[in-house]
Amino acid sequence: MIIDRSKEWWLARAAREGNAAVSAGLLAIDPVAETHSATEQPVSAEENRIAFGKFVNLMRRQQGYSIEKLADEADLDASEVLVIEDDVHYLPEPRTVYKLAQIFKVPQGKLMELAGLVVANDDDLRREAVRFAARSESMERLTSAESEALAAFVAVLSKRDGKAGN
Amino acid sequence: MSAEISRIYLLDAATGGAVEAELRDAIEAENLNDWQTKWQPALLGVLQGLARKGVPQAQWPQSWHWNWQEKTARVSGLLAYKGFSIVALGETQGLAQIDLTKSARILGEAGKPIVYIDYLEAAPWNRPELGGSARLRGVGTALITAAVFLSLEEGFKGRIGLHSLPQADTFYRDRCGMTDLGPDPDCQNLRYFEFTPGQAGTFLEE
Repeated sequence: MIIDRSKEWWLARAAREGNAAVSAGLLAIDPVAETHSATEQPVSAEENRIAFGKFVNLMRRQQGYSIEKLADEADLDASEVLVIEDDVHYLPEPRTVYKLAQIFKVPQGKLMELAGLVVANDDDLRREAVRFAARSESMERLTSAESEALAAFVAVLSKRDGKAGN
Repeated sequence: MSAEISRIYLLDAATGGAVEAELRDAIEAENLNDWQTKWQPALLGVLQGLARKGVPQAQWPQSWHWNWQEKTARVSGLLAYKGFSIVALGETQGLAQIDLTKSARILGEAGKPIVYIDYLEAAPWNRPELGGSARLRGVGTALITAAVFLSLEEGFKGRIGLHSLPQADTFYRDRCGMTDLGPDPDCQNLRYFEFTPGQAGTFLEE
């Protein structure tokens, strides 16, 4: 099918479109239910979540994963990895945390607590999480300070997991 | 069979200059490759920006709450359908998938065959609703124009139909002049729009 119209005809139509959005059809929307956003978490849970997001971000970068690559490895959506790292109100699925714990080789139980999926009664862990979050910055490459913070926090997670059970 | 190509023109939003483009009456592998390697990373980048700015997910543009893997699988299926693609500046600028099995719903035309636009989307860099300014203007209008021409070619007299995403309702209602038949409970309450033959004629004459 050939449409034969003048340059002016097409440009006039393009000008009329202006700055309008044009998306149509279910494939353009393709929504996924997002029922796990927790909007009212206690402060301590939020502190843990900040640490969880930082932890995933730093571990991902330390292991040389892009967001898409980590999503592939963990069988997650790239958009979910993104919100895990950046949205402190996002509550991930247990399966997601399980996959991340497997990939990062850290205890699942403590990661669940950090992620806000398990009620955190562990004040020491919370303090360590805040300390860790405060020491890390979001940069392209891990600074030595971030690497130190990450290593220390992984050690705390592993140690405390042995103590508190998984 | 290779696609037939019409030469069309879009507007460069920054300079106001004309940009020559190809309107192809097919979606081909190279278009899907662009979707995968250019559109998807571009969207991910903007999504990342929104998350960093602390914009709640509820306020993200409607088309962003998707499952990437599912969407990729579904997009890869577009090769099997009739469609249109717009290529300019060496990359795919817009895609539309067409279904010729649907019937009109509007009073006076109900039951008659239409060109139903199953999917229409501009490249992320041409979508102003994503927060930046669109690079090229006219992609959506060109795809709708192609659908109307196809309808005429098929003997459907210009009748077309589509379900609009909420942010695009104004475009279809006010700028294209389609009839708004309201939310469709069978299509996630997206609003359904149709062109009658008369409206399609007016759209082409404008």
